[in-house]
Amino acid sequence: MAALPETSQERIGFYICHCGINIAYKVRCPELAEYIKTLPNVVVSRDYLFMCSDPGQELIEKDVKEYGLNRVVVASCSPRMHEHTFRAACARAGLNPFRAFHHVCVREHVSWVTLDEDQATEKAKDLCRAGVLRVQHQDDLFPKTFPVNTNTLVVGGGIAGMQASLDIASAGYQVYLVERQPTIGGHMLQYDKTFPTLDCAACIGTPKMVSVGQHKKIEILSYCEVESVDGFVGNFQVKVRKRARYVNPAKCTGCGECTQNCPVELPNEWDVGTKKRKAVYQSFPQAVPITFVIDKRDRAPCVQTCPAGTAAQGYVTLIREGKYEEAVRLILEKLPLPGVLGRVCPAPCETRCRRAEIDSPVSIRDLKRFAADQIDLGTFALPPVAKQPPEERVAVVGSGPAGISCAYFLVRQGYPVTVFEALPVIGGLLRTGIPEFRLPRDVLDREIEFLRRTGIEFKTGSPIGKDRTVDHLLSDGYRAVFLATGAWESMQLGVDGEDLDGVLPGLDLLRKKALGEEVSVGDRVVVIGGGNAAMDACRTALRMGASVVTVLYRRTRAEMPASEEEIEAALAEGVKIEYLAAPVRILGNGGRVTGMECIRMELGEPDESGRRRPVPQPGSEYTIEVDTVIPAIGQRPDLSRRDCTPGVGFDRRGRVEVDPVSMQTSRPEIFAGGDLYTGPATVVEAVAAGHEAAISIERFLKGEELQANRGEKPAGEDWAPVPAGEQPRERAQMPEMEPKERAKTFAEGQQGLSEEQARAEAARCIACGVCCECKLCVSACEAKAIEHDQQDEIVDLNVGSIVIATGFDAMDPTPLDHYGYGRLPNVVTNLEFERLSNSTGPTSGKILMRDPQDHFKYTRPPASVAILHCIGSRDKNYHEYCSRTCCMYALKFAHLIKDKCGHDTQIYNFYIDMRCFGKGYEEFYQRVQSEGVRMIRGKAVGVTDRAESPDEEGYLVVQAEDSLTGQLLRVPVEMAILCTAMEPRPDAVEVARTFGISTGREGFFTEEHPKLEPVSTPTAGVFLAGACQGPKDIPDAVAQAKAASSEAQSLSTLGQVVVAPMISGIDPDVCVGCQVCIDLCPYSAIEIDDFRGISVVNEALCKGCGSCAGYCPSGAAKIRHFTDKQIFAEIDGIMASG
Amino acid sequence: MTAVAPMLEITDAILEIGGETIQICMQCGTCSGVCPWNLVRKFSPRLLIRQASLGIEGYESEALWNCVTCRTCVEHCPRGVDIIDVIRSARSLMQESGTVPPPFRAPLGSLKSDGNPWQTPREERSAWNQDVGVPELGPDTEHLFYACCTHCYDGRNKKVLRTMARLLLKGEVDMGIIGNEESCCADQAHKCGAYSLHLELSGANDQLFADKGVKKIIATSPHCMNMFNQEYEGNYESVHYTQVFDRLIADGKLKPKKEVALKVAYHDPCYLGRHSGIYEEPRRVLWSIPGLEYIELPRSRENSLCCGGGGGGIWSEVPVAERFGALRVQEALEAGAGVIATACPFCTIMIEDSLKALGKEEEIRVLDVAELLFQSVE
Repeated sequence: MAALPETSQERIGFYICHCGINIAYKVRCPELAEYIKTLPNVVVSRDYLFMCSDPGQELIEKDVKEYGLNRVVVASCSPRMHEHTFRAACARAGLNPFRAFHHVCVREHVSWVTLDEDQATEKAKDLCRAGVLRVQHQDDLFPKTFPVNTNTLVVGGGIAGMQASLDIASAGYQVYLVERQPTIGGHMLQYDKTFPTLDCAACIGTPKMVSVGQHKKIEILSYCEVESVDGFVGNFQVKVRKRARYVNPAKCTGCGECTQNCPVELPNEWDVGTKKRKAVYQSFPQAVPITFVIDKRDRAPCVQTCPAGTAAQGYVTLIREGKYEEAVRLILEKLPLPGVLGRVCPAPCETRCRRAEIDSPVSIRDLKRFAADQIDLGTFALPPVAKQPPEERVAVVGSGPAGISCAYFLVRQGYPVTVFEALPVIGGLLRTGIPEFRLPRDVLDREIEFLRRTGIEFKTGSPIGKDRTVDHLLSDGYRAVFLATGAWESMQLGVDGEDLDGVLPGLDLLRKKALGEEVSVGDRVVVIGGGNAAMDACRTALRMGASVVTVLYRRTRAEMPASEEEIEAALAEGVKIEYLAAPVRILGNGGRVTGMECIRMELGEPDESGRRRPVPQPGSEYTIEVDTVIPAIGQRPDLSRRDCTPGVGFDRRGRVEVDPVSMQTSRPEIFAGGDLYTGPATVVEAVAAGHEAAISIERFLKGEELQANRGEKPAGEDWAPVPAGEQPRERAQMPEMEPKERAKTFAEGQQGLSEEQARAEAARCIACGVCCECKLCVSACEAKAIEHDQQDEIVDLNVGSIVIATGFDAMDPTPLDHYGYGRLPNVVTNLEFERLSNSTGPTSGKILMRDPQDHFKYTRPPASVAILHCIGSRDKNYHEYCSRTCCMYALKFAHLIKDKCGHDTQIYNFYIDMRCFGKGYEEFYQRVQSEGVRMIRGKAVGVTDRAESPDEEGYLVVQAEDSLTGQLLRVPVEMAILCTAMEPRPDAVEVARTFGISTGREGFFTEEHPKLEPVSTPTAGVFLAGACQGPKDIPDAVAQAKAASSEAQSLSTLGQVVVAPMISGIDPDVCVGCQVCIDLCPYSAIEIDDFRGISVVNEALCKGCGSCAGYCPSGAAKIRHFTDKQIFAEIDGIMASG
Repeated sequence: MTAVAPMLEITDAILEIGGETIQICMQCGTCSGVCPWNLVRKFSPRLLIRQASLGIEGYESEALWNCVTCRTCVEHCPRGVDIIDVIRSARSLMQESGTVPPPFRAPLGSLKSDGNPWQTPREERSAWNQDVGVPELGPDTEHLFYACCTHCYDGRNKKVLRTMARLLLKGEVDMGIIGNEESCCADQAHKCGAYSLHLELSGANDQLFADKGVKKIIATSPHCMNMFNQEYEGNYESVHYTQVFDRLIADGKLKPKKEVALKVAYHDPCYLGRHSGIYEEPRRVLWSIPGLEYIELPRSRENSLCCGGGGGGIWSEVPVAERFGALRVQEALEAGAGVIATACPFCTIMIEDSLKALGKEEEIRVLDVAELLFQSVE
């Protein structure tokens, strides 16, 4: 035993409570009292029937005075019950209760859990001896008080949350009501009628919603989530994520024009998938707030993949809707050349199209072409143009796709732009590098003409070079220049004979042909190279009359960079491709090509491009007879470019050096992009570069920061799920001329999709991003409320109390496959039935059967219905608990079906036990029975559509044993309703963690005491209401909400909270400032005092968990009331047992 | 009808010998609803449980002997009542009162006198091994190869056993047999509620296995495997031969090469599937056989339809029209199968008997997984 000084002034009173017989039936109380009396410093020791009674407490007070006691030990029930009772008695007697009092638990820890009387008495002696030793080391402690913030946070806007909010607000306190859905209302507002009174849920629910919406003291934060909670009772700091709604609530009038125009449809969550909604939507007509919301996920993969960021999902959707003009207008937001790109784009968008998870990617490129081909650009309304000062002129050098697009986007921003083109024609490589049969001239001409109409000034035959440099342009008054002169010089083969007559670089051939210059090829043509330029060259040669065209490629087909489509087209037209071969020298006679010596290659180790390097095979040389050799092995920028742009950097391959984000060169007023920067690349990449440069140039002219909010786009993958059950459909193919026919002509080989084809093809899109950003809602909204660029916001709230009313989920019965849910169209869940019966549901309140062919179509009322109780409830394999509401709503369903479908409708309730425990519930049961509803006592074991007799043909057959007769039943019905379990929200555990509360075995939030503290939680200031605490019906949820609101009001009314003093304290004389405790503290309650170099506890935040005291290497951190001395004394007391 | 008082001593007796979960039954009737008997005749486990829980007349009827311990009801029971244990316990009361129905009496007697239910001398137990050559279990042998009585004595199954053993030897499995000293695993005695007989047989085997130092057992019947793993004192690692085949194939020690051009439907034995959770291994063995066209029956895996042979069912007299085996043959024929493959000696007997009774021998056969594998390997 711990020794105490002999001169001890300790005077201890000990009391053992009989607790009626709860303690006394196992612990011999008088014997215990006698024993404790023998311990040092114990002045009085008594046993008493009920220490918690008034006389019991008075006994303590009297003894303190009479015997001069300064310490009191009571052995009775758990300190959770009566510690505060006895502390108060000590305080009344004039003692510091924390110093004077110690409570020993001999009921829960001894009498209730020990069988043998002797053992119980001995154990009680040990524990009480320990308590007597401990109490002598206790010190004076003084609880602190803190003011209470009178605001309350209510989480969840269902019936419980709404009721709690109204009650608190009506008491005059501010409420913040956070709701995850776009509207408040919760499950109750999804229902039709409510049992047992059959009030319409909307009739009694919407007035609550309206009151909440209009109450001055309630701020609704809908479409929001609580991110974090800090602080303590009376003083919580809450961060709420306000999810972007993309609709401004201050402007939205709820008129619904946006929805009328929105082309995207998906199943409505509010209607549990029984009907569809648009991407911009309102959950139901009475939603509060009335503000619409746009369901926008991460941008669809097609949009993310497009270098130019074209709203591919958007225009595809518009095409499906037949809105071709709108589609082209949307394309023009990002691409100035829809018809061109609709033909020549390699369509990177299609590579990641998620439709491929069902069958094959949507034919996005062909759809773009289709839309462009429907529009007469000659009369097409010009895009709106902003106004800028007229002197802010910009010069663009080069009229290829990069230059055109830069000019286009600048003109749209209101800047005067002049495009300087060296050639007599506009279009750059679009015109001189892509043959007509792939890109008809009239398509290009029309689009350039349209661009001219937007205001771009084109100057052809105006080379910017040695004679007229960029500096001349600047001195002519242009404030900025964009260089986009491309990469159109052909690379040389570097073999003998390249200067012979009959050697014609691919690009030269295409350019001459395009410009109408004199050019011809011989009869036997060989094209060298494997890229798209080689394919264009060989196909052109074929059309120019060559009878044998061979492509020589040094690797294999797998490594060929040309697009698969182009290779296939060339082969089909009769081009031969010789793989693994390369030229050695070109042979000639009289200055003309007569043949070529080639060598066989084989593939060696991979080179830096990752492709296997071709290695010549010595001795494999062979000669072929040709009269025209067309090298098409690559192209590069015109090297003379360097001379005409002094001060701008170029690399050794002639490519301009720019900042990759802003496209700015080393001279701030000069920008560059396209092939001049990247080397030969795709048209769409050039367009993207032009757009980026236009943005930079505008910022440059306005003197703004070029880099802000640019660079890598965030590529999230929060997309709509690939729809289950979607049937594979074939990808649309454009009609095409026969290969042999088309090889004879320069006319376009592929005809566009027909309208029917195009719209069907567009309908294959699965709307990954949900909102397709077609912006039709923007045009439709007269109030200008749509804001597609909204971002999530974080709102900070300070509140004193929190009511959690996050509700429940209805269990998904799909895993119980014997009931056929998801497979049999007329097996529905309780929530689906509620929507069917609800006037705002898919059938406007008619109870109809689902069309087996169409999930969203309903036909006629059922003639017979089975209602299956306890689906997932009272079942060890799912939820062991009873969901408490199903019996009653099942009866309600039965009544509604009789009422709406006619009284001759046969209804069977398959139940295990009927639980009709509430006011008016049993009477309702009787009423429904009297309406002729059949009650079958037996759990339905399955629903099948496999008929075993002709009578069952075409029906759903419910199987069960009627346990009252012992008869196995097969009941044919037309509809089966599964009464599924109420279960916790899937994220209940995370929510619990956020608020510092806990979940029970079944996942619902745990109340502090199941009987006496049903709405409190172990975290002071956090209260529970409604079904988040356990399954309950509306009356119970409302009652609990009122209780929770009363708790919150008590706190606010009192205005201050007392915080227990059993918290950590750091002895400033001992602390060495190592700061280990700061990282350990889970409540961030410890800070470093920089001035003194020691750690300090914030008493408002400390919860007394002891983490710091356990680890403190110097012993400076201690938990008050749980000091080493106190604990060791207690241990000594227990160990002293005989 | 006059009122009766509940005979709670009956209930107490059932609780004591393993039927304690009877107390948590809520009489929902799920067991009756899923019980395969109700495909062919009326049978309510729920009613038996009710009668047993009050000691009311009826529980000790012949209906109690219907149960073939297929475990479908146990899988579905929302309260977790171990219905097989309840049946077993109720049967044991009938054992004590000597009211066991006649068909079960002879096999139980044979178990007592010969250590097997087939009324055949113990001395003939290992006769099957004469030309197979499984060595005798030595002190260092890894596995005991324990052949089920039904494999040892039933003509059809003896063939299966020999094939199976040859395959295991070919796969170089280190195994041996004990032979005539072995007794029945006691599965039948156990499920028929013959409590002391069950203890006698399993005790004798436990002692024998302990003497021989047995740690691992390859069981030829899922019933034996289940007994060794669930009911024996000794701590054995008991596996089914299809699990061993699966491993041997994966390790390349058995190579199915020859084409076996058959349409094969696999029938999950209850004691391999629902009782032991082994669904994949026998399937993988079949899938490894080249040329074999595998057919999944509508009632498979957890929902497999029992053959009717478990829990003493193999001794019952059941009219052809009411045999599960007959339903199974129909199902397999409808699915287009030419062979029903299985991996339990009871299933082989029960389905083959039904098939013959239906006169379908020309259309469909029953083969053990081992026999199919053997065709491909040899």
